[in-house]
Amino acid sequence: MLLRLRALLVPVLAIVLFISLSEELTVALATESKAAALGTSPRAAEQAASPASSTEEEHGVSQKAVEIGRVFGFPITNSMVVSWIVALSLIIFVQAATWKMKQIPSGAQNFLEWLVESLYGFLEGLLGRHLVDRTFWFFATIFIFILSSNWLGLIPGVGTIGRGHMTPHGFRINQPFFRGANADVNLTLAMALVFFACWIFWALREIGPLGFLKELFAPKGESAGLLKVVLVVVFFVVGCLEIISILFRPISLSFRLYGNTFAGENMLETMANLVPSLGWLIPVPFYFLELLVGVVQALVFMLLTAVFTLLMCQREEEGSATPQH
Amino acid sequence: MIQNLHVGLAALGAALAVGMIGGRAADVVGRNPGSSTKVLVQSILAIAFAEAIVFYVLFLVR
Repeated sequence: MLLRLRALLVPVLAIVLFISLSEELTVALATESKAAALGTSPRAAEQAASPASSTEEEHGVSQKAVEIGRVFGFPITNSMVVSWIVALSLIIFVQAATWKMKQIPSGAQNFLEWLVESLYGFLEGLLGRHLVDRTFWFFATIFIFILSSNWLGLIPGVGTIGRGHMTPHGFRINQPFFRGANADVNLTLAMALVFFACWIFWALREIGPLGFLKELFAPKGESAGLLKVVLVVVFFVVGCLEIISILFRPISLSFRLYGNTFAGENMLETMANLVPSLGWLIPVPFYFLELLVGVVQALVFMLLTAVFTLLMCQREEEGSATPQH
Repeated sequence: MIQNLHVGLAALGAALAVGMIGGRAADVVGRNPGSSTKVLVQSILAIAFAEAIVFYVLFLVR
């Protein structure tokens, strides 16, 4: 277990770094297409394109992360700040917990071992021994990172501290310094694309390029004669459809996580502004709902990526397991 | 206006589908707790496919 914890550290560092880097790359690209891609009305799209100048649109949170500064001409958004905070605190926590490891763990080390071991057991039951050894680092990282960033976005002060201006209805924040990391489609898309690259790599390593094509296009099951010819055609068409659905996976993964987090923040904001004098009480039940949603969405992201990996890579294992019977 | 209706109907259908899949999965696990992991995989997949319809609509509607 001690060895495994140490081995987990390096991939965790690597993936967190890579995710923040790719987030920077996609941040400029995706802002343009997002408003159009979301299929919003032109007015909302305008608001998303220029949230700082939206004085008449006073309802809700802006759809994209707001730029709060520039470093060497490179935009820094409030979601990026929060994702860096999450990544840094995770790295510091794991380092501190495994700094002086004891045979009988206690405190932070105990907690970390419990978390990693229960994740490992869960994924082992799903993926099987062989696959979980190779892919555990990714799924555990994704789960812990999404969960912590979802919960960090709920801390009071995220979205409510920032630069603003006076309106007839009171003070309004235009540029919050912090915003939930997953409430920015760039981060979720970056994670989904990282998974997509890993998925292709794992599939090629487990079943090879030929097996990859066979899994997509070749007919499954036993058949002979004319039926076989028909089935080859049918499975080729099915393979083409399968490719489309595979290409949609990163999009649906990223939009599912972004949509849930963003909708949650928007709902909390709306509930806090619903009755001005009761703004401290009404959001409280919804905070508990958001705690639940944070866990569920982290779990769903991890489970879906794990199941996608399992679907592509399990054939070889079944094939090698059958001769033993 | 009609776009909003499209997205709304797709979301309604997907929500119904997700509810039915989840309910049936809970039903089956209640009857046969040992099959929990296998049912989980199947239902998560089916829910993902049902949900994808909303994303198709979001992208296709202009």
